[in-house]
Amino acid sequence: MSFLKDLFEHDGNGWWKIPKTSEAEANPKSEHPFGDFIKRTKAFILWLTSGKGHAGPAYYWVIAIILGVITLVEVWWFEQDGLRYILVPAMLGFSMVKFILVVAFFMHLRFDHKLFSWIFVTCMIIGVFIFSLFILLSAFHGYGN
Amino acid sequence: MSSDNITVHHGEEINNSTGVSNKKLLMWAFLGSDVMFFGTFIGTFMAYRNKSLNGPYPADTLDIPITTVSTFVLLMSSLGIVLALHYLKESRMGLAKLWLFAVIIMGLIFMGFQVYEFAHFAHIGMTPQVNLFGTTFFTLTSLHGAHVSLGILWLIFLLYNEFNGNLTSDNAVDLEIAGLYWHFVDIVWILIFGLLYLITAGDGVPPGGIPWEGAH
Repeated sequence: MSFLKDLFEHDGNGWWKIPKTSEAEANPKSEHPFGDFIKRTKAFILWLTSGKGHAGPAYYWVIAIILGVITLVEVWWFEQDGLRYILVPAMLGFSMVKFILVVAFFMHLRFDHKLFSWIFVTCMIIGVFIFSLFILLSAFHGYGN
Repeated sequence: MSSDNITVHHGEEINNSTGVSNKKLLMWAFLGSDVMFFGTFIGTFMAYRNKSLNGPYPADTLDIPITTVSTFVLLMSSLGIVLALHYLKESRMGLAKLWLFAVIIMGLIFMGFQVYEFAHFAHIGMTPQVNLFGTTFFTLTSLHGAHVSLGILWLIFLLYNEFNGNLTSDNAVDLEIAGLYWHFVDIVWILIFGLLYLITAGDGVPPGGIPWEGAH
């Protein structure tokens, strides 16, 4: 609510402050169109991660809600006949976003030793290469006959 | 080897040159190999997409609303296992056991949906040998189901150890590697749901194919 208050509150000097800034300072850090929004967002993320760089329960809930919402958007997209022509790239995109969210945050790869990331990403590249090879072979199957 | 090189991380002695947990390293190496394994099967499924010349076709069989529910259950089970691990590391054993139990239940619900789906498909005449779609679909989804089943057994074993007092914050790495495995089956399902179900669910009779008239 504090953010909304800052965004819409009239401070009494005849001007709307959107959002309220600290221009009284010599070099106000928040003197830009977003005011304190970025600073507050950073503070919110730190609160979500317990301020320790490791995720806390609230953080995991936020990731889970994002995953749930993306799944609902996927199904909604699938139901729209007008969007069928870009169904494949859209589903690939949504799947990759969900994949990255789970690997980076639920599997802690974002916070863990880089060696694990190297192992997994290398194998992912090989996996995607095999996948792409199969698709290409399929696309050219029977070509020239 | 000097004992100065030995560190302890969640109860596991780390005395190797990598400086990371052997158990976690092994699990990541396994997951890396499983990525290639599933990449091959998903690639095969996509390569044979629209190649079946006799039914049933994906549009005749796949039920998106039901699969959406089971997908949601599996996604939430991933949340459950990170919370179970978080509370175990904080030695809040009641919550750790509760969330681990919830994950097992969600895993069983997911498997229940898969059993229902397979039984329904068999009832309408879609079996692994009926066409290319059936072969690739059943191979991929049943391999994933086997992974989930193994994960459920593993989690039951860990819950039993939690109740016995053998799994505590000191050896939380044991739940962490089981959690990595569980998240992996979740991300494989994310790809299967997006690529296998949502992309192909609208596929009907391909050029030259014979329309399906239902089970005889």
